[in-house]
Amino acid sequence: MKRKWFFLFLILTSTSLISGCWNARELPDLAIVSALGIDKNEDGKYVGTFQIINPSYVTGGLQGGGGGQGPPVTVYSSTGDNIYELTRRLSTKSSRTLYYAHTNLLVISEDLAKKDGITNILDAFERDYEFRTTAMIVIAHRSKAEDIIKTLTPLDKVSAVKVIKTLKNAESLLGEEPTVTLQEVIRYLVSPGKEPLISGITLIGKKKNANKVANTQESSTPQARLESDGIAVFKDGKLVDWLHGKTARGTAWVLNRIKSTIVNISWEREKPAIEYTVMRQKTKVSAHTKKGQPQISIHIHAEGDIGEVSVPVNLNDPHVLRKIEIEVAKTIKKDVNDAIHRAQENKTDILGFGEAFHRSDPKEWNKLKTNWNDVTFPKLEVNVTVEAFVRRSGLRNKSYLSELKNKR
Amino acid sequence: MEKAKISAYQLFVLIVLFELGSALLIPIALEAKQDAWLAILLGMAGSFFLFLVYYRLFHYYPDILPTEYMQKIVGKSFGKFLAFLYILYFMYLAARVLRDFGEMLITFAYPRTPLFIVNALFLLVIIYSTRKGIEVVARTGELIFVLIFFLGISGNILIFISGIIDFKNLLPVLEEGIMPVLKTTFTQTLYIPFGEAIVFAMILPYLNQSKKAKFAGLFALGLSGLILAFIMVINISVLGVNLTSRSQFPLLSTIQTIQIDGFLERLDAYFMITLIFGGFFKISLYFYGAVTGIANLFNFKAPSRLVYPIGIVILLLSITIASNYAEHISEGTKFIQLPIQLPFQVIIPVLLLIIAFFKHRKKRGK
Repeated sequence: MKRKWFFLFLILTSTSLISGCWNARELPDLAIVSALGIDKNEDGKYVGTFQIINPSYVTGGLQGGGGGQGPPVTVYSSTGDNIYELTRRLSTKSSRTLYYAHTNLLVISEDLAKKDGITNILDAFERDYEFRTTAMIVIAHRSKAEDIIKTLTPLDKVSAVKVIKTLKNAESLLGEEPTVTLQEVIRYLVSPGKEPLISGITLIGKKKNANKVANTQESSTPQARLESDGIAVFKDGKLVDWLHGKTARGTAWVLNRIKSTIVNISWEREKPAIEYTVMRQKTKVSAHTKKGQPQISIHIHAEGDIGEVSVPVNLNDPHVLRKIEIEVAKTIKKDVNDAIHRAQENKTDILGFGEAFHRSDPKEWNKLKTNWNDVTFPKLEVNVTVEAFVRRSGLRNKSYLSELKNKR
Repeated sequence: MEKAKISAYQLFVLIVLFELGSALLIPIALEAKQDAWLAILLGMAGSFFLFLVYYRLFHYYPDILPTEYMQKIVGKSFGKFLAFLYILYFMYLAARVLRDFGEMLITFAYPRTPLFIVNALFLLVIIYSTRKGIEVVARTGELIFVLIFFLGISGNILIFISGIIDFKNLLPVLEEGIMPVLKTTFTQTLYIPFGEAIVFAMILPYLNQSKKAKFAGLFALGLSGLILAFIMVINISVLGVNLTSRSQFPLLSTIQTIQIDGFLERLDAYFMITLIFGGFFKISLYFYGAVTGIANLFNFKAPSRLVYPIGIVILLLSITIASNYAEHISEGTKFIQLPIQLPFQVIIPVLLLIIAFFKHRKKRGK
């Protein structure tokens, strides 16, 4: 009998202990942070802007009627000497505890990245057990991080989601925005043979209206909108340059980060004439030493389709396709060479050539790595070879433009 | 010695779960940088030799526990002293592993729960199962083994699918020659986790087919060595060497990196489940080794009653052995290797074997 009572006691006490209520946090007490922006103010203190999801208004619009009147996100901000202080200082303003497990976006202002660099602010994010290192990191180009966080956007109501999706979309369709996670940025900051790149986002239009619900309620282009804008180049943790368009794409080629992109080539002196869509590609970077001089060879293999022609050209003819392939390879090679020159001018090895050396020749790398970015990398000889293949040309072979030409 | 029998397969399963236990959790062999996997494989090769030593000893005295045959080999009083040291050693390691897991749970999942509570709850389950005897632990092992295998395979598939693996991170192989790898092997991986299989010397006499022990043991050590080396390859190729060695729990960071098409992510539970099971068996086996050892040494009639007092000792020990996690880990992976692990796992067993060998030859000579 005694034994029975003992077991009953044991079961009762264990239910109170193992139910996991010790650290219990109820949903109404949590503020789910979707994005976090970091600026620096005139006093040299960090300003953190926290975008907090307002659950009822995010879903409200879908249910129709009453719901979607309020803004889908609420923004709080606080100042402090370091990141951890920021998050704790916010408790004087927020009724709920901030919850970072869903923070997918970290915005850093261009000013901060240029003057102070990003090296000092990332540790807190990596160390914290709630924050995810797979969160995407972006630089607010020509605007404050605060403005990016505050902007309300249509379609994807939470602007953090909108920014992430836009960048990913641009990366997978245009190839000019290699997106990076916090984890990658830290890895490249630390590595002596590779410097980080971070994609940029900018606020265009009337900044005053950005945080008004009205901004999302026009069918025409919103008065203030977020757009992806170039990639930021870093050296020693500080922003030194922005890459746009073709240079950005050339960089993505070398980094083997192109998923798909378009290559515009000229045909019989007309430009733009043929649009080539890259469907898959593979870039190999190899390092070797020739006569005591370090060298890099880049080999790019691209496969793709013809997307559009604006000149009469016979796509049935393999010889024509071969010519197109050569043109495409030339154009890609030019982009890549431009990107390499730009990186060499900036004296920062964003292309990971140092890592390639480290892998292939660790002994040689030990000699090179101390002056890599400033001395060796800018003078490095780089050989680029590109192979491009046209695989298909869509639903038509000859363009109707050829028929038009015959008619005349 | 309790009246229990376990099969060769159960021994195999227990060794695998035991080896994976905390070695998957904590960063091991990272002094060898990107060649950590090589150091693990070399450690595994060394462990074959160690296991054969333990097995030969068992072969000479198939029916009695090490605490007893030590007395036969080196004389009653010194043997007892030696056996007592081994019991302390098992208790210390049980406390160490318990602390590992308590720290993991607190750092990662329950930051505001006191260490004492986490450790006490974990130990409660272990006390319960150890009280039921080795047969129960072994059968639980059989069940859990299947589950862990399923988790391991599906976890790896997810890692591969999400495309986060970059084998280039493993290059260059042997950057500074073979020496750092050998050094890591002989100062670390040979003892943690492989040499720790010394605790199975306490389990071997329960085997119902003692002939298969050698095969099961070697096979289990080989499998767990391959798994650990493979996981290290994955960790380094996903995170890079730098991040792997800066991580408190590298496998956790690897699993957190999994992102499949924006919906399959945050699979931390994978890590937690696998690790908690592994830790359960590792602590249980050390604990069991200590309990049977004491019962045997001091002629206890009912060893199961010993679990509570020893459990409390281990619990308190796990809280007090280190004042913080950094201290705990550096003790475990650096300081205790040569002064404690080396004599208990290698020197004493080898010396015992040499003495036993000559004694048996003399006997046969007569």
